[in-house]
Amino acid sequence: MTSQALSGLKVVEWSEFVSGPYCGKLLADLGAEVIKVEKPGSGDKSRSYGPFPQKIPHPEKSGLFLYLNTNKLGISLNVQNTTGADIFKELIKQTDILIENNPPGEVEELGFDYQSLKNINPGLVMTSITPFGQTGPYRDYKSCDLTSFHMSGMAFINPSEGVDDTEKKAPLRGATHQADLVAGLNGAIVTLSAIFVCQMTGLGQHVDLSEQEALASFMRRELGVFAVEEMGWTRLKGTQPGMESDIYQCSDGRIYLICFHDRTWEPWIEFMGNPDWATSELFADIASRRENWDAAKAMIEEWTKEHSVDEIVSAAEAMRVPCKPVNTAKELVESELLAARDYFTEVDHKQAGRVKFPGAPYKLSETPWCVEQPAPLLGEHNEKVYCERLGYTKPDLVRMRAGGVI
Amino acid sequence: MEKLPLEGIRVTDFTAVWAGSHITQWLGVMGAEVIKIESSLRPDLTRQVFRGMAPDCPMSAVFAVLNYGKKGCTLNMTLPRARELAKEIIKVSDIVAENFGGPVMDRWGLGYSELIKLKPDIIMYSGSGFGRTGPYKESPAFAGIIEAFSGLCSLNAHPDGEPLPMATRGYIDLAAAQHGVFAILAALYHRSKTGQGQYIDLSMTEVMGAFLPEPIMHYTMNGIVQAPLGNRDSYVAPHGCYRCRGDDDWVAIAVSNDDEWRAFCDVIGNPEWTEDERFHDGLNRLKNQEQLDSLIQEWTKNHDHYEVMEMLQKGGVIAGPSFKVEEVVQDRHLGERGFFTAIDHPGIGSVRLAGLPWKLSGVPQGNYQHAPLIGENNDYVFKELLKMPEEEIARLQEEQVIY
Repeated sequence: MTSQALSGLKVVEWSEFVSGPYCGKLLADLGAEVIKVEKPGSGDKSRSYGPFPQKIPHPEKSGLFLYLNTNKLGISLNVQNTTGADIFKELIKQTDILIENNPPGEVEELGFDYQSLKNINPGLVMTSITPFGQTGPYRDYKSCDLTSFHMSGMAFINPSEGVDDTEKKAPLRGATHQADLVAGLNGAIVTLSAIFVCQMTGLGQHVDLSEQEALASFMRRELGVFAVEEMGWTRLKGTQPGMESDIYQCSDGRIYLICFHDRTWEPWIEFMGNPDWATSELFADIASRRENWDAAKAMIEEWTKEHSVDEIVSAAEAMRVPCKPVNTAKELVESELLAARDYFTEVDHKQAGRVKFPGAPYKLSETPWCVEQPAPLLGEHNEKVYCERLGYTKPDLVRMRAGGVI
Repeated sequence: MEKLPLEGIRVTDFTAVWAGSHITQWLGVMGAEVIKIESSLRPDLTRQVFRGMAPDCPMSAVFAVLNYGKKGCTLNMTLPRARELAKEIIKVSDIVAENFGGPVMDRWGLGYSELIKLKPDIIMYSGSGFGRTGPYKESPAFAGIIEAFSGLCSLNAHPDGEPLPMATRGYIDLAAAQHGVFAILAALYHRSKTGQGQYIDLSMTEVMGAFLPEPIMHYTMNGIVQAPLGNRDSYVAPHGCYRCRGDDDWVAIAVSNDDEWRAFCDVIGNPEWTEDERFHDGLNRLKNQEQLDSLIQEWTKNHDHYEVMEMLQKGGVIAGPSFKVEEVVQDRHLGERGFFTAIDHPGIGSVRLAGLPWKLSGVPQGNYQHAPLIGENNDYVFKELLKMPEEEIARLQEEQVIY
């Protein structure tokens, strides 16, 4: 095995669904050794989420699980059982990092809070990813991707163009699991930063990461503008200048087009054949265009409706006018770009067969991102971890299995 | 004195606007010394962005919030002498970051192959819309373009709605920047173990793909193009956002199993319709969610959105208001946790800006130095860091090299 950026880092991931597992995946895909702890029986909650091959639900074939748990060693362990808790602590003694996304109260009850774990491993970096953090009045509130997204303020300003009817259209959650993914991503960043502190001081850290704050920090622009100008955000379309939609209907689909600035306006109207309206004074410079953009947009769309997406996008490419089709996942998967970039990853999984999913979010020249092994079956690496690592015997495993420990 | 995580790391920062400024900001706040290179001839666009320009203020609120924790230095990179000075800064840096709309660094003789001659263990980060290789390596990209191309827009809609870019303009800028920060930290870790630097090529499109696994796998597994779900979920109901009493006030509620459903019904006082067969089990609630949602809204409409959260959370049901920007700023929970941090800005005064979304035990909060005025730290960079004589600095300012 070639050396990767995070080779040598040892991680225990005691978390499920999306946020903690994405954090673990980011570390594992760059070479950290991640031992994923799942509860015996049902395992990680994401195992019951699709997509599934042929749309047939199966705990070993969940697309979401297979994507989020690449390169991890999987063990099953009932940490609520006394023996299980002891085994968990043995794992903690040998790890650099613990990632967990459990309710703070439950973690304390089990005796796995940082103060307790620090006593058995003073160098431990414990990253707790929770909806609202470890302190404050909402600490013990329950949340999910939907409510986290709404409580961060992101949903209220989504979509950024606003809506026609604020009574009929509710504020909108981000697509799929954006809130949980953002939390996991922040978790991975702060975990590595804590490792640097550890390198300097030899001391471990408890990382208290709030999903609400992780998402709210994506709104730093709106929050900053509010702080300076005390200007709020309304949802009615047209009330937020500069937030107009840049999406245009074409004869066979939609495009996203930015032709507002001087450098792009000139070539764009030339491409449209310099129609009379476009050369009028109403649109002569950027200030007047800003003033009359609704009118310009309507006229541009009259024209784009008569032309195909491909025709417009390739002409725009040549003119260096920012313009791309509004794709679905289908066009993205089939795109020439991502084929040329060798983006998608395919792995053979023992039960799900050949699975294709998103690949490296970054290309590192010396220590490339890679998938060495697919997501683990539930308890797939019990023997490897319990026997080879912790010194249990095979008969021990049989007993532990019978006792509901693993 | 406790140290910040990235103390001792220096960054030469050629990034600008959203995605780029955001990435080096994280590094700066975590303690790296970020030297942002601009020119008075071409200041960062967000200094004067259309929004948030306070009267008599030397920078916009947007610039302030994306650039705190950095130092400001001016170099007119169109001149060869300025590029030589940039090389001197790079020689004493650990990281070089850029997000130009094309191969600008190569044109300046500052491509990765040149940088490793100056500093063999340098870590270079290049952020772009479609990657630094491939057919779109020079295509101009903005957040909305990437969100459209990657399929996000097609999913960011109510079930019957039109595709649109997401939330804050620049969602993918921020998601990409944070993936970049993670990659840089991983490269730093690798360097700390091996002494080896590297080049990082980050494509915003590819980051967006990493954040859309399910729609992508619906297609790769079953050839299905996923439709937008809005606030709903594919598996459970009720799962939505409901109108409350008040001015455009809304609350999000999610019920994921029968226990939570019964708890929900108890909280709302078990009205007769909750006994209805249409809502008897998860499958039926999902099938009849249109009617279910309007009945729930009849209840939420009579309550304040905070009140709904308190009532349902007390009953063990997931609920939370859809916060407005000002409600985020005023929220008592975020306030108690100290999410916002006061930064004193020249020309603006003290401003409470969004800080780090995490807390490390035993590490000070972060480097919250105000965003630099243009060239604010030229003295530090040229006099202290590069140890250039004052006369030379003055001459180069005159010649509009340091400019």
